[in-house]
Amino acid sequence: MRVERKPFLLHFAFFAVLAFFFNTVFPLNAQERFRRSPPLPEPFSELSLPEIETHTLSNGLGLAIVRRQDQPVISIRVIILTGESSSPDDLPGLATLCARMITKGTTNYKAEDVEEKVESIGGSINVRIYPDYTEFTLSFLGDYLDDALQLLSEILQRPTFPRIEIGNVQRSMFYDMAVQAENPEFIARRLLYQILFESHPYRKIIFDQGSIKNLNRKDIVSFYSDYYHPNNAKLVLIGNLNLEIASRKVSRYLSSWEKKDAELSYAPLLDPQDQMKICFVDLPQAKDATIYLGNIIFPITSQDYFPFVVFNQVIGGTPNSRLFMHLRESKAFAYYAFSEMHLFKSCGVFLITAKVLTEYCYDAIQEILKEINNLRKIPISSQEIEQAKSYLIGNFPLTIQTYDNLSAKISEIQAFGLSRDHWERYYENLMRINTESVSPLGQKYSLHTPVVIIVGNNEIMEYLKDFEQVYVYSPDGNLRYKIGEKE
Amino acid sequence: MICRTPKSHFFFIAAILSLALASQAGQITEELSFPIKHYTLKNGLRVILSEDNSLPIVAVAVAYNVGSINEVPGKTGLAHLLENLMFQGSRNVGQMQHYSFIQKIGGVLNAMTTVDKTIFYQTVPSNQLALVLWLESDRMTTLNITPSNVENIKNQLIEDIQLRRESDPYLENSWYFDQLLFPGFAYSHPILGTIADISRISTQDVRNFFASYYTPNNTVLSIVGDIKEQKVLPLIQKYFSTIPMGRPPPVTDLGELTKIAAIDETITNPMAPSPGFYLGYTLAPRYSEDFYRLAITEYVLSKGQTSRMYKRLIDKDKTAIYMGGGIETRKDHSVFKLFVRSNNDIMNERSRRAVFAEINKIKTTLISEEELHKTKNIFKMDYFRQFDTALNKAIFLAEDLLDKGNHGPWQEELEKYLAISHYDVSRMANKYFKDERILITLDIK
Repeated sequence: MRVERKPFLLHFAFFAVLAFFFNTVFPLNAQERFRRSPPLPEPFSELSLPEIETHTLSNGLGLAIVRRQDQPVISIRVIILTGESSSPDDLPGLATLCARMITKGTTNYKAEDVEEKVESIGGSINVRIYPDYTEFTLSFLGDYLDDALQLLSEILQRPTFPRIEIGNVQRSMFYDMAVQAENPEFIARRLLYQILFESHPYRKIIFDQGSIKNLNRKDIVSFYSDYYHPNNAKLVLIGNLNLEIASRKVSRYLSSWEKKDAELSYAPLLDPQDQMKICFVDLPQAKDATIYLGNIIFPITSQDYFPFVVFNQVIGGTPNSRLFMHLRESKAFAYYAFSEMHLFKSCGVFLITAKVLTEYCYDAIQEILKEINNLRKIPISSQEIEQAKSYLIGNFPLTIQTYDNLSAKISEIQAFGLSRDHWERYYENLMRINTESVSPLGQKYSLHTPVVIIVGNNEIMEYLKDFEQVYVYSPDGNLRYKIGEKE
Repeated sequence: MICRTPKSHFFFIAAILSLALASQAGQITEELSFPIKHYTLKNGLRVILSEDNSLPIVAVAVAYNVGSINEVPGKTGLAHLLENLMFQGSRNVGQMQHYSFIQKIGGVLNAMTTVDKTIFYQTVPSNQLALVLWLESDRMTTLNITPSNVENIKNQLIEDIQLRRESDPYLENSWYFDQLLFPGFAYSHPILGTIADISRISTQDVRNFFASYYTPNNTVLSIVGDIKEQKVLPLIQKYFSTIPMGRPPPVTDLGELTKIAAIDETITNPMAPSPGFYLGYTLAPRYSEDFYRLAITEYVLSKGQTSRMYKRLIDKDKTAIYMGGGIETRKDHSVFKLFVRSNNDIMNERSRRAVFAEINKIKTTLISEEELHKTKNIFKMDYFRQFDTALNKAIFLAEDLLDKGNHGPWQEELEKYLAISHYDVSRMANKYFKDERILITLDIK
């Protein structure tokens, strides 16, 4: 031990001398001055977005090409400009089932052949159905554009909708629904949309096992033949190709897709709820209260888009926004509290989501409503606006990094026919937002008369008795009874 | 502060005196078409820079060469605890302020602990790079390891394990499977640690672990995105070069890599919603010649919707409701793991037989050129995905450097994976998918 300690002591003495010397420059425990506070940012680097080049084939298929060279892959999205809201009134879910069946067999390929062909080009194919449009995404290795287009041409033009596959897809949808059936967030969102869209074609995005079971091959074939036409479709391609080459390639495989004039129905505008409605869903196994609170706002093409994006950021876009800071950090009522905006062709939905401790359920709702009322009365400070803008401007390029994310953004622009405001002028439009453009939004939209959904176990009822009237629902969205009087 | 060896003193002083000196630049390598530069600061911090100006963002990954493998028996969960503690503040940064600084500017951040690495990472607008370097350097040197911070994190982690157990009834079974499949404590214990061990960890344990492993000489700083070398280097020097070099990290006793013996066991888990089975094989060491060949063999068997096992169990026979697994590496050790769940015992038995039938088939029948070609393309796409964002690239580069000590070239590495012939697939299956395997049947009654 002693032998080992000796060098240590000597070494310590050596260090002490040095330390004395350095202390004259850096006092003990001192640190370099620059460590004391965060460094100031450099000026923003310029964001140069890739150009969206467009072209329309003779059969009406719209192309949007974005050239990127940093990845050896290609991403193609085919957009059918028809979504779930176009399912017949008595057949909700038809658009979804039809879309999911498109890849399940063609005149020349069985369902498993399609899967093999997709994977043989390193690819994967995904289908998403929105209220206004439907999207097929195929990402694959850049060397296989011809194979990919040949395959797309086959599945878009010659699907056969085999009965056995319809059964398989239906079963897989039932399984997905069963998985979601006990998820409080899913239940809350579905009921909120069910009530807000009650008299509108968008209500068809809510369907259950019964609706899907009800659909047959004839319905699917007829939906396909009504809406799957090149003049009701767009194709977005991201990869190392210019417009000329891409158009030639796409045209080679998809110009045979026959144009057909279909009668397209457009969903009408929708009014917001003008009275607050409190709804409780009894989910016995839920430990906490899940709150979804929302109302109808403007369609995606509205002039209010940019000011509202900033408004949403101020109230609940991130953990630094008002709701999270207030409900979680300051009051300790909630695990989380955020706000979201979902915009469609004929309306939008602004909603607030929170997961709170059961005993604070009533208080949390009151605090959310108080926050909304403050926004209606007190102008938002320019400091808060600038902070929100700083987040949004900084975050935007992060959301378009991968080919798939970039393609999703461009598909949205194409599907809704959005102007250059949403692409080239995105930064510019955010930069010019100020207190004057954001503050009136609280008054302009009916955020103070929302539909409020609370999902939790029945202990929560005790905390809801101060509301004049409560509608009690089952987890699958059926109204069981009402409590309290209100006319 | 803790005493250092004379050697580390020398470097400490040298680092201060060399504040304004640029460090040695490494060779530029151009692989998968992106540029890379390497530097090593005087205090041992290894730096990777990769410039990509397509978007005004930058990703920063700080990878410490430490993970659960460096824990000792009785103190499991320590590496993961320290990862969480790194967000509890340091001398100039308040508790959880790291999050709020990054989120306010539109950035994203997270951290992860693996068997042998702890990585902190973020993507931010490129004009905010200095902020990230300030934050990361502050916690690398002056982390607040206080008894109250440690207690808070311990309680959070214990609660987290309890929640995970509730939401995943198979968690304990998979830990047990790992214990049988990975030989020795170092490799096999859970990264999350056990509740009993976490309760035992003291503030001093955390301080010692931090001092041993969270040193510049045990770390890689990887920066990818919209950067200019002449601007970034002085920033790195400013924030990191005065951090004292640590002692060389302690040598971890990994134990002997004993060969596993065949195990065929049935265990009962009444909480599990459906029966299933775990199957595991020991494979060739990571980065050995056979390891590259086994990667494609794994894809043939179990990756993608057209892989043999998925097609058989889920699509064709429909005996299973879930199938997951593949190759897992823990440092240099690699295994093949499979977890299959079925609706009932009869289906479970059929699934098990089908899996062995598929393994047998690949051993005895050569796969077609088409199937091999398809499998290689799926693999290739997954390989490219590791580079598809600045952050993925930053993490990949940091991990790669820690694993191999030097980089790439990745085009050559990819070719090594793709060089496998259809004979090799059978050969690998025969060589590694042998009778010495772990099979655990899960009963729910």
